Amino acid sequence: MATRILTHLSFSVRLDFMLKVDSITKDFLLPISFRRIARLDFKRLPAVHALKDVSFDLPKGSVLAILGPNGAGKTTILKTLATLIIPDSGTVRLNDLILGKDDDRIKAAIGLMTSAERSFYWRLTGRQNLEFFAAMQGLSPDRIKTRIAELYDLFGINYGDRRFDSYSTGMQQKLGLMRAVLHDPELLLLDEPTKSLDYAGAVALRDFIKDMMVKKHGKTVIFTTHQMEEAAGFADLFLILHNGRAHAYGSLGQLRAQAGLPDGGLGEIFMKLTGGQTHA
Amino acid sequence: MLKKAAAFLKKDFLMESSYRLAFLSNFFGILVGILSYFFINKLFAGQIAPHLAPFGVDYFSYVLLSTAFFGYVGVGLGSFSERIYAEQQQGTLEAIILTPTRISTILLSLSLWNLVLATVDMFIYACLAVFLFNISFANINILSAIVIFVLTILSFSALGIISSSFIVIFKRGNPLGWILGSLEGLIGGVYFPVTVLPGWMQFLAKLFPITYAINAIQLAVYRNYSVSQLSREILFLAAFSAVLLPLAVFIFKRGLDKSRRDGTLGQY
Repeated sequence: MATRILTHLSFSVRLDFMLKVDSITKDFLLPISFRRIARLDFKRLPAVHALKDVSFDLPKGSVLAILGPNGAGKTTILKTLATLIIPDSGTVRLNDLILGKDDDRIKAAIGLMTSAERSFYWRLTGRQNLEFFAAMQGLSPDRIKTRIAELYDLFGINYGDRRFDSYSTGMQQKLGLMRAVLHDPELLLLDEPTKSLDYAGAVALRDFIKDMMVKKHGKTVIFTTHQMEEAAGFADLFLILHNGRAHAYGSLGQLRAQAGLPDGGLGEIFMKLTGGQTHA
Repeated sequence: MLKKAAAFLKKDFLMESSYRLAFLSNFFGILVGILSYFFINKLFAGQIAPHLAPFGVDYFSYVLLSTAFFGYVGVGLGSFSERIYAEQQQGTLEAIILTPTRISTILLSLSLWNLVLATVDMFIYACLAVFLFNISFANINILSAIVIFVLTILSFSALGIISSSFIVIFKRGNPLGWILGSLEGLIGGVYFPVTVLPGWMQFLAKLFPITYAINAIQLAVYRNYSVSQLSREILFLAAFSAVLLPLAVFIFKRGLDKSRRDGTLGQY
């Protein structure tokens, strides 16, 4: 599957890849329950295959949507790229950096926005949170001030001095995105960035990422979603993931060709390529 | 490294100061604890006096110093696992690990706030001791006390880092921290001199660094013992730190890697 995807890709996209993911595999072992320990049954349960031989190359300045139902392995891919999960096998190269060897430099080159609400200090203000994480990114005190002012301006935020626990979901998502770009990373990893947002909020955030982050500042973006139509209007490239396997990768046109659906929408293509399965 | 440590300290200060009652309740907790020892001293002072002869003080002075000092031991022993667990619960551990920050810097920074708190506690103990209970620290050998403080914190930090590896991997349950925290209070000479214990427990006590630390700090503060007079205790604590600290950081890194392999870094 990985070879097929890469061959398919090589006909179509530019060769100035910034990210090369090659045959990433990740199994999670299930812990042995107390009930089984009490029965002296130490036999390992079958592993959960979170990622199986996933490969793709991503050109600089593009937006990749990783599509799949819950449990497909979308978050596992992002966390692996972000160095938070160690894969069982496979390689990841970000420009000339190799995952597992150059992790600190990779961390400096990526920004991860998680979908979890719990990743900020709720009793601190938005500004205090950003100041802390900017310092942890190694920004100087002067740079922290100017960078946060720049970002407040860019994001149109006037609630930075309110405590985080008073933020709405949309405000929290925005602050999450601001934290991800604090250190001006090349690659943005966004885990379901519009989850929990209302329609208008989701559109505004997508437009902001596309117009400001990608078009104006030349960032490369990978985001996950299970909403096909959202992805269609936002991304240049699509990776269809199901049960940890990459079923297809390419532009919408390439996916249509692969699925044999010349006018098909992403939802139809997804159903066709994954054999009509909608759940992991 | 220092800038990142300072950022941690500022963050922890802001977090802590958002809980306004905490400082006040801490102060009253210390006062109540001291008063308890004061009355225990009135009740049993005569019986324990022979065991306190090497230190030249009464039971109240002895227990007040060792209890205050035990706060620093707690910094080393408990702060890493406490803070790691707190960051896991808040969901911020992943976000911190995601920054290009050395593990040693994260570990140092995590313990800084508890060190400040222990110092504040020590100051409160000292003020209450001097102004309320007329205890004299006139014989203190400041250099010896500082050396013992530093080596004690380093020694117990090593144990604390090892025990926080349990938190990183298992999320809850810290057998090493529990065993050390409970046993050291009992046999380390914190609440009474080690000589009160039966012989086999005294032998066991010699295996724990707390015994050397408490003995040394009592002698440095009340008997003006110099660094050379405390060389046995200082050598033990220094050797303990030199061997265990690098080992502790290594074990913690391995624990973190296991958590990354299991995909459980953000769980608690």
